[in-house]
Amino acid sequence: MLSRDEVLKIAKLARLTLTEEEIAFYQKQLTRVLGHIQDLNQVPTSNETFVQHVPLDAEPFREDKAEPFANHEGLMGNAPAVENNCFLLPTIVEHS
Amino acid sequence: MEFGTQTIEALLSGYQKKEFKPSEVIGAYLENISARDKKLNSFLQVRAEETMAKAKALDGKMGEAVNLPLFGIPIAVKDNFLVEGWQATAGSKVLSGYVSPYTATSVKKLQEMGAVIVGKVNCDEFAMGSSNENSAYGPVRNPWDLERVPGGSSGGSSAAVAAGLAAVSLGTDTGGSIRQPASLCGLVGLKPSYGRVSRYGIVAYASSLDQVGPFSKTVWDSARVLEVMAGFDNRDATTSKRPVPRYTEELKSNSKRAFTLGISRSWLEGVDPDVAKSFEAALEAFKKLGGKIVEIDLPHTKYSLSTYYLIAPSEASSNLARYDGVHYGYRTQNAKSSEELYSRSRGEGIGREVKLRIMLGTYALSAGYYDAFYLKANQVRKKIQEDFEKAFTQCDFVATPTSPSTAFKLGEKTDDPLKMYLSDIFTLPVNLAGLPGLSIPCGLDSKNLPIGLQLIGKPFGESDLFAAAHSYEQVRGVFPLPSIAKGKG
Repeated sequence: MLSRDEVLKIAKLARLTLTEEEIAFYQKQLTRVLGHIQDLNQVPTSNETFVQHVPLDAEPFREDKAEPFANHEGLMGNAPAVENNCFLLPTIVEHS
Repeated sequence: MEFGTQTIEALLSGYQKKEFKPSEVIGAYLENISARDKKLNSFLQVRAEETMAKAKALDGKMGEAVNLPLFGIPIAVKDNFLVEGWQATAGSKVLSGYVSPYTATSVKKLQEMGAVIVGKVNCDEFAMGSSNENSAYGPVRNPWDLERVPGGSSGGSSAAVAAGLAAVSLGTDTGGSIRQPASLCGLVGLKPSYGRVSRYGIVAYASSLDQVGPFSKTVWDSARVLEVMAGFDNRDATTSKRPVPRYTEELKSNSKRAFTLGISRSWLEGVDPDVAKSFEAALEAFKKLGGKIVEIDLPHTKYSLSTYYLIAPSEASSNLARYDGVHYGYRTQNAKSSEELYSRSRGEGIGREVKLRIMLGTYALSAGYYDAFYLKANQVRKKIQEDFEKAFTQCDFVATPTSPSTAFKLGEKTDDPLKMYLSDIFTLPVNLAGLPGLSIPCGLDSKNLPIGLQLIGKPFGESDLFAAAHSYEQVRGVFPLPSIAKGKG
């Protein structure tokens, strides 16, 4: 069973605040899934093999050309808070 | 005239013969939605006025535009696609109120060819789930039995088409999210080859696995949608430059070919008896068409679930890091630091299953565990891919039931994640190997619930897949629709 501290460490890395109830819930659920996943250790594999998932004729490289985005209003319209056309965030450094 | 049960093919033919106009058809579908969807909860957004204006504009263009490949076809789009001006919640509270500033390439191509969006449809949050019970906006119900799930994650897409609320719909498939709900709702569902359709404008889940595909009543309809939306896109670096075949034409010329189907018997253990019976009957039908059935070995497919539940959550933990309450989406109140702003916005805005997968991925990628988990999973993934390569030297397709069971009851599998994950046991390896997979209805079980047959093809082998499924469809006959699609129930 994953410990409470292990769950809290993962949650911190994932930037997720969990309630007490959730901590206990994910202790069980993560343990259950990670337990199942151990069956991969039965498969002999060598370090060289890695998957090729991109089609061979795809071109991951293209010219890095900036284009103006037409719907500026649409982008800013989704912000939780805006001031002077900038994303507004809570103050994190207090004035003394 | 009643609308809701027609195929795309039938609607196009009706437009050609001037039997009806787009505004009549679209208007009827919008009425179906308002009359029937209270029971199903498949639609998350409908903009009737704007949609009717689009349909009326098409009425005026019937002379010149009627030959467009999707002229006046009502389509529903999963809520993880971006359509300019429409919401895109991806079934999550963290994206509630989000309005798309641009349109996904796949959707844009369909719109340019005459399709009209009738609404955005419900799904499991961030496309993570097999029952549509993980949506922040409530579960979708199966049109065949309202006590049961429609499958997931594209549950709204499948319920909408099965109930006659759209002629066709779009979904995404990362581990079975098109094929499994298509199977549970009695539809044709296609996950194309990785790289066949652009993902630009789709809310990303696991980028090495995600694909876009259609839900439809027939194979021809599926082929029509794919031939319109497939192809290279400069905005998705993983799309292939291979030319897109005219699938609807090739399907007719190729369907007389006799195909060889590969079956892995050991993989099929544990399937519900009704599903197994129906699957065997479908194989017999292929034999009658002159096809052959051969035994193949796929020794690593049994590791698909573990492989998938390391790779997909790892990619998801990275893709979903962007939901931090800063630029868009849900933001927590009264955070005292930036750290608290991110963690609390995410903790409060993201749902149960998605948090589980983010944490699984974070764990698998964290220092000291990467080699044991993520790297190992990718090595096994390669073995799964090689199993299929080997199998395809003996057969044209691999055949399986799409799902080991028919539609299950709401709440039946929500307590144990592994129980739920097993619903996708036959679909997961197809994404891991990047192959095309198609689910086609092949029967009803003793409870009158649809059963699906999955055909898995070679990379970019959609043409053959359509041809085989089309010939099978001819011998199977027209598959029934649930009574709600005919305005009853």
